[in-house]
Amino acid sequence: MDIEIFPHRVLGADTTEKLLNGIESLVDVKRTVLQGPRLPPEDPNEDPRYFDRRRITVNGKEIELKVKTGRIFVELSTEETIDEIKVICEQHLPFGFDINIGKYIRDQKTVTDNIKYGDADIPDELIGMTDQSAKLKDRLTFIKKDNEKE
Amino acid sequence: MAQYYPGTSQIAQNRRNFSDPDYELEKLRDISDEGVVKILGHRAPGEEYKSVHPPLDEMDEPDDIVRELVEPIDGAKAGDRVRYIQFVDSMYFAPAQPYLRSRSYLNRYRGVDAGTLSGRQIIEARERDLEKISKELLETEYFDTARTGIRGKSVHGHSLRLDEDGVMFDMLRRQIFNKATGKVEMVKDQIGKELDEPVVLGEPLDEETLKKKTTIYRIDGEAYKNDKDAVEILHRIHVSRSEGGFCPE
Repeated sequence: MDIEIFPHRVLGADTTEKLLNGIESLVDVKRTVLQGPRLPPEDPNEDPRYFDRRRITVNGKEIELKVKTGRIFVELSTEETIDEIKVICEQHLPFGFDINIGKYIRDQKTVTDNIKYGDADIPDELIGMTDQSAKLKDRLTFIKKDNEKE
Repeated sequence: MAQYYPGTSQIAQNRRNFSDPDYELEKLRDISDEGVVKILGHRAPGEEYKSVHPPLDEMDEPDDIVRELVEPIDGAKAGDRVRYIQFVDSMYFAPAQPYLRSRSYLNRYRGVDAGTLSGRQIIEARERDLEKISKELLETEYFDTARTGIRGKSVHGHSLRLDEDGVMFDMLRRQIFNKATGKVEMVKDQIGKELDEPVVLGEPLDEETLKKKTTIYRIDGEAYKNDKDAVEILHRIHVSRSEGGFCPE
């Protein structure tokens, strides 16, 4: 099952980092998708003081944050985890948020996926993790859970 | 007495205040003349005004009774270019909103052209008059440093969620909340060109003050349907327009 975390304000990099670290520390969380307006690409002429795009660290793994976080989709296996996520959100989102239950991450291959990847055997976890125009390696980061780390 | 807006709510009163040219708007902050010129981005501070025609005194104009009746504004006298300033008002309790801006601009200022869209509002005037008007618009209740944006291009954001620091979303990041000082700074001019030094706009108003000063009806603030008087007048206008349009005779 999927949930959507809808903060009442658009999140900056710092809050996104804290929130993701909280969510990713839960064992039950399988996949997480960040959705929001894209941040402009890196520009060497831009003053770094006014720059929003930066690398964040989630569970020890560095990720380049390419969007300004508007919504977060999370895939879970049990409903009990929602309460734990609520506690984490209350801690980091003082301005309020909604949590909606629904289907937010696609789990079936589309025609475009078939054209893009052919008959290649794609693991189920990778389906629906990016849109058709993007490359997986640009958008996807694997984060190992603490219990999976060697 | 002129009747500017119906209604008994605080919002209706605020709308009347803006529209009434005799009402003195509260001054909330100080922005230097140089700062205003920098924000506008039409000329460098200290630079001469460019002109599109010679001063009116030097022009040989045909005799006309209207020319004698109407005193030209300063910029027209000097032959300045027509320039603009454009505002975006967030729907999260911004003090002003586009329709109200137009109504009040035309009541308060001479020789201006106001253009209204759903989320943005532009005012055009001769350059030196525009600078005076802009200063007034930026320093008074018309403007809140967080919920109002000065955007000449990429004019967007009025209906988007706010950033987490309470400033209206702007993809060009012209107005930035400085956490160290607690003030909002304009780091780019209204077109998005970076300024050498930021222009400090001042502290944003808090949520309570904004709700008192706003001219936007909202269900989580003051709802329009609760302002019985305003709804009644709107209803009357609607009925008269419909009936008049249906059979004008």
